[in-house]
Amino acid sequence: MSDYQVEIRDTAERYPCGGEHSLLKAMAALGRKGIPSGCHGGGCGVCKVRITEGEVSTLVMSCTHVSEEEKAQGYVLACRAFPRSDIALEVVGGMRKCITRRRYGFV
Amino acid sequence: MAVMRIGHINIRVLDMGAARHHYENVLGLLPQAEDAAGNVYLKGWDEWDKYSVILSPSDHAGMNYVAYKVQHDADLDLIKGRIEALGREAEMVAAGALPFCGRALRFNMPSGHLMYLYAEKEFVGKSVGVTNPEPWPDGLNGAGAHWLDHCLLMCELDPEKGVNKVAENEAFFREVLEFRLTEQLMVGPGHVVQAAAFMTCTSTPHDIAFVGGPQMGFHHASFYLDEWSDVLKAADVMGKNKVKIDVTPQRHGITRGATIYFFDPSGNRNETFAGLGYLAHPDMPVITWTEEEIGSAIFYHTGELKESFATVYTEGV
Repeated sequence: MSDYQVEIRDTAERYPCGGEHSLLKAMAALGRKGIPSGCHGGGCGVCKVRITEGEVSTLVMSCTHVSEEEKAQGYVLACRAFPRSDIALEVVGGMRKCITRRRYGFV
Repeated sequence: MAVMRIGHINIRVLDMGAARHHYENVLGLLPQAEDAAGNVYLKGWDEWDKYSVILSPSDHAGMNYVAYKVQHDADLDLIKGRIEALGREAEMVAAGALPFCGRALRFNMPSGHLMYLYAEKEFVGKSVGVTNPEPWPDGLNGAGAHWLDHCLLMCELDPEKGVNKVAENEAFFREVLEFRLTEQLMVGPGHVVQAAAFMTCTSTPHDIAFVGGPQMGFHHASFYLDEWSDVLKAADVMGKNKVKIDVTPQRHGITRGATIYFFDPSGNRNETFAGLGYLAHPDMPVITWTEEEIGSAIFYHTGELKESFATVYTEGV
């Protein structure tokens, strides 16, 4: 499969991604940054993005993180989205934040 | 009177085929049953009860509940009484409510996680049997995990709001279920906030653990291996199967265990854990880690906390 181009709008990061790799996997394998990397299985939600340009196919995602309505609006988990064209996206997810910003160890 | 040991965990998975490949071929658990609702029952080769893991098909990942086994059926009534004396609810459910089990006690931990206690489960036996047994059976897949060892649950911690479900769970497990605190993590000014509690009901360093976070959840289920070489082989198996590893083989400061953290195909975190760090006899003094050494407490080799370890987890209820 030929590589598509993926652009992370938030950071202007661009990287190639073959149709057989998820948007997140291709980014991580190349050592690029921008989309938070978590479980890579559709369960944790940290890699949530909104596709602003292009088409993706997706594998099953935890409905808690992406509802059917959100999917229709272009929200996907990057670890479960595979490019079918060149892609532009915005990062929506992120590591869980806490108001206290790590004043209490893990929290 | 005390809880005897961990019994089983019910994990929700998004894709059962992928999940079964992971738990059966990567971890090496053995399938025991499948019911009409699509739940799959698995156990380690070294376990003798019917199952220690239930995989349930779902549209969202996470843990439904964890169940621990008590030694005597009468213990269930005793513990029910203790829970109700605290003004908390506990419901006795009939035999079969937990599949292949006798009657069970169902209640929520202070953190909100759902827990069951049961005394009876169908017996099937270890793979090596009990008569002149071999030390391990032929034909094991993947990491060949022995048994379900423990689980770690994320509990809401927000000292500014006066919320510490880690401490509440620790007190509940100690007073009601007779677990003992083995190790704790103390944070904040003066190190007075208990941000993590590791507890045992056997003599291993932990049978359950609670860690503080912004919201409650399911951090990981842990499966036991013998020693470092088994851990490294398990890492090879994960590489071969393109499993998403969270933390490569490392020593824990807490429990002294050798560990790999990785995710199942639905994003639920697993651990393969090796070594008996120490014998946690009832009179063992409590070990305390302080906030500055959090990195070493979890990841002794690097001494650095990994962001995803603290912030990536699936739902706990």
